[in-house]
Amino acid sequence: MTASVPLTEALDDTAPPRQAWWKALLRDRAAALALITLLSIALAALLAPLIAPHDPYEGTRSVMQPPVWAERGDWTYLLGTDGQGRDILSRLLYGTRLTLLIGILSVGLGATVGSLLGLLSAFYKRIDPYVMRFADVMLSFPAILLGLALVAIFGPGALPVIIALSIATVPDSARIARSIAIGVMEQEYIEAGRAIGLSDRTLFSRYLLRNSISAIMIFVSLRFGQIILIGAALSFLGLGARPPAAELGMMASQGRDFMLFAPHIAFIPSIAIFVIVLAANITGDAIRDVLDPRLRS
Amino acid sequence: MTALLTVSDLQVGFQDRGRIMRAVDGVSLSVDRGRTLGVVGESGCGKSVTSLAIMGLVPQPPGVIQGGEITFDGKNLLALPPKEMRALRGGRIGMIFQEPMTSLNPVYTCGEQINETLRAHGMSAPDKARARAIELLDLVGLPSPAKRIDDYPHQLSGGQRQRVMIAIALANDPDLLIADEPTTALDVTIQAQILQLMKDLQNRTGMAILLVTHDLGVVAETCDDVVVMYAGLVVERASTASLYSDPQHPYTIGLMAAVPRITAKAERLDTIDGTLPPPWVQIPGCRFAPRCPLATDKCRAEQPPMREITPGHQVACWFAPIDERITTP
Repeated sequence: MTASVPLTEALDDTAPPRQAWWKALLRDRAAALALITLLSIALAALLAPLIAPHDPYEGTRSVMQPPVWAERGDWTYLLGTDGQGRDILSRLLYGTRLTLLIGILSVGLGATVGSLLGLLSAFYKRIDPYVMRFADVMLSFPAILLGLALVAIFGPGALPVIIALSIATVPDSARIARSIAIGVMEQEYIEAGRAIGLSDRTLFSRYLLRNSISAIMIFVSLRFGQIILIGAALSFLGLGARPPAAELGMMASQGRDFMLFAPHIAFIPSIAIFVIVLAANITGDAIRDVLDPRLRS
Repeated sequence: MTALLTVSDLQVGFQDRGRIMRAVDGVSLSVDRGRTLGVVGESGCGKSVTSLAIMGLVPQPPGVIQGGEITFDGKNLLALPPKEMRALRGGRIGMIFQEPMTSLNPVYTCGEQINETLRAHGMSAPDKARARAIELLDLVGLPSPAKRIDDYPHQLSGGQRQRVMIAIALANDPDLLIADEPTTALDVTIQAQILQLMKDLQNRTGMAILLVTHDLGVVAETCDDVVVMYAGLVVERASTASLYSDPQHPYTIGLMAAVPRITAKAERLDTIDGTLPPPWVQIPGCRFAPRCPLATDKCRAEQPPMREITPGHQVACWFAPIDERITTP
């Protein structure tokens, strides 16, 4: 090659203009704040057994103790105690643990299976009618009912809730992933990918999946918020976590009885749910932007 | 010497609610090494389907290859196992598309996409692949290729993207380049540059080019031979010089007349009346008869066969050879 000399020189001064994805994520201030919030909540939940100041399940005599900043507040119970005299801070830490577990597992399982089904049915049009009829049947089955049925089988607890919510997430994410993927399949680069001799597997993962994932992420993050709320609602109805286990939705529901005298018992877990859902949605949005090079710059 | 690519009597149909529509109905053509064949025709005449069939990319279903043979370097492509066909695509046969804006994968850099082609065809060393990618980008005339290699498609202009597409198509030194309307989406100056580039690359590598286009100007500039298609059929086949100096089929003559000219005084552009018949309409005789100014009852009843008028110049028309003056008003 005649041009090899200037080429090697040029090679040396290549400064890739690309940013690491996490740098791009942190540059967006709202996203960075949301991500840090989410991570610290997750960390606190993870470390609950180590940092919880009291036993979350053992009741005491100091019932309905207000939080420390209120009148009659006490440093022993930073966020006060609930109707049975249990430390709210400790229950909050343990409750977040269970809530996050339910949210992450349900969305993780459900959206992964559902999105794969949706993407595959857009990729292999032969299986499309079958997958979609299957999704339709599943869609017509309410999650709450499914939850009730599973509770009847397994008894109340986190497991049936996770299974029910995963199953309920499958058809939604299959439908959404399919409609996104159909749009991607019509793009000329899919055909161009075929024209350079790529295998179906490469085409699926590097072309279809990679171009659909950022839009699917939006759904996943929205769904994560929804799932936490539905999970909380199921616990609220007494279908989820079994007392005395702590779960944010259940804590809120138990606090309902004391709304007039000790509103903090219901408010504190509700605020925690609100913060988690909000942070998850903002983070999801930012992840979408980061995954798409066109939106990164 | 036998031709590098020979398509004979290719028939491709598409299923639609039980019926099969013929998009390509007996197309024959051939390209030699180092030569450029232009395939010309209106939108919907079957020229893109022909090029997709050569690549083995006709979506099946709904597409059906109903007959014919495609021979590439002695191998019958229609009978090739999928794995070998995949090795040919992007390997010995490269393809570029009409829309440079959408034919690059938006989530990968140019370099990654060139590497992908190299990887799919056996080159695995990353640093070697990168050097080759830069070399290719340099070859297709992209300025400062060592920097551009890390650009995403959206950071490039249309002409630059088409250059990257060409680099991808050429990555594995193909013997045949299929270009489906490669310049249609580009503006005229860029068009000329891209065509020139393809010609230069052909001179260097000796590859054959199959150029699908509806633009007679592009054909005149770049092709050695031309095939004119109408409604899924080849109606005229000739060397470029012969076709332009002495067009024989009334459709070709009509196409030539419809090209706007700077020198012409006429205010109105000549057009061919009517439209291409939709594929589900069966026309018993010559398919161009409904739009042809010369059509007779014989034309409407019987399909004219391909006949050689002068050496290398074949026409499917009962009137050939015709004097051009008859048809020009």
